[in-house]
Amino acid sequence: MWAPQIFQNDNSIYENLISGQIPAIIIPEIISKFDCENLCNKILLNQYITSGPGISNKIGTSLSSHIYEKSKYFSNSQKSNQLIQHIFANTKSPLLTMQKIIKNISQKQISTAMENSMSYSDAVIRIHQDGDSVHLHRDHSTFEMSEYSISNFGNQLSAILYLQSPIKGGELTIYQKKWNKLDEKMRLPDFGYSSEMVKNIPQTSILPVSGNMIIINPKFYHQIEYVHGPKQRISIGFFFGELSKHHLCSWA
Amino acid sequence: MTDIIWGTVTKIISTNSFEMNVSHQKDTNQDSYKDVEEIQFSEIDIPSIPADENSRNVSEIEQNLKDKFVKCEISGRNSENILVCAVSHSGAGGY
Repeated sequence: MWAPQIFQNDNSIYENLISGQIPAIIIPEIISKFDCENLCNKILLNQYITSGPGISNKIGTSLSSHIYEKSKYFSNSQKSNQLIQHIFANTKSPLLTMQKIIKNISQKQISTAMENSMSYSDAVIRIHQDGDSVHLHRDHSTFEMSEYSISNFGNQLSAILYLQSPIKGGELTIYQKKWNKLDEKMRLPDFGYSSEMVKNIPQTSILPVSGNMIIINPKFYHQIEYVHGPKQRISIGFFFGELSKHHLCSWA
Repeated sequence: MTDIIWGTVTKIISTNSFEMNVSHQKDTNQDSYKDVEEIQFSEIDIPSIPADENSRNVSEIEQNLKDKFVKCEISGRNSENILVCAVSHSGAGGY
């Protein structure tokens, strides 16, 4: 059965995710519900909520918003990183906790990627409201963001920490189908791919439980189901890949 | 209103033309288009491809356009019935 695995100090789990043997790694309760609530209060008070491809509410810059605007991306990343640091001021940064866990799982060092002395975006906070969903897509910088040096990193994965669960919905569905070039004929003009692509493909579903961190292989097609109710689904995430045998770099 | 088609680039023909599989067409397009069209680009909004045709080469265009999903805003057909378009990348496959 293709199902997410909970991390229990078994480092082979990292290789299993890269090879696609498992759809996701779940690391439960990396921060407390109390800390999640505090962070979400700060996030929702923030006035710098913007939109981007596939999402109507987010805080922070992501590469997909600037695929062909490299200098704008790096200048926005600087502001974005300061903003996220400001949100996490006076609290233990969940990004550091996430990096520590990734280091433990992969047995590699991890830091935010740099290019020409400029820092990539540390993370993006995504806020999904009642009625929001994210259509079927995959994340693949090697194919789509070849202008950026991170596109050369090997074994790219995606880390997400759920900070607030919606009352209903908002599950992450992952399909047992990895992107390949021929799939581009199923692209949709604005975002993502036709749902026809994953018809009859085995899938798994992950509940967005606040405090839980997940790591997925983003080349596998995935989508976020509709969020229902007045409570937003809030998560923070970034991508990471192998700069070298012993070092990972992250970006958003 | 300009007709628009979307699709993936299958073959680079020259420094200003390629072949594409047309997968999407704007609902309000005035004309209809074949499943495979040859495109001559009058403008290209992809930073890694120089705007000046003399500064381009086919392998560079292949690297940046082959297999990619693009949007073509059609200005008409040339004397050889090839579509003349402003070409740009379209949307995002992910975030």
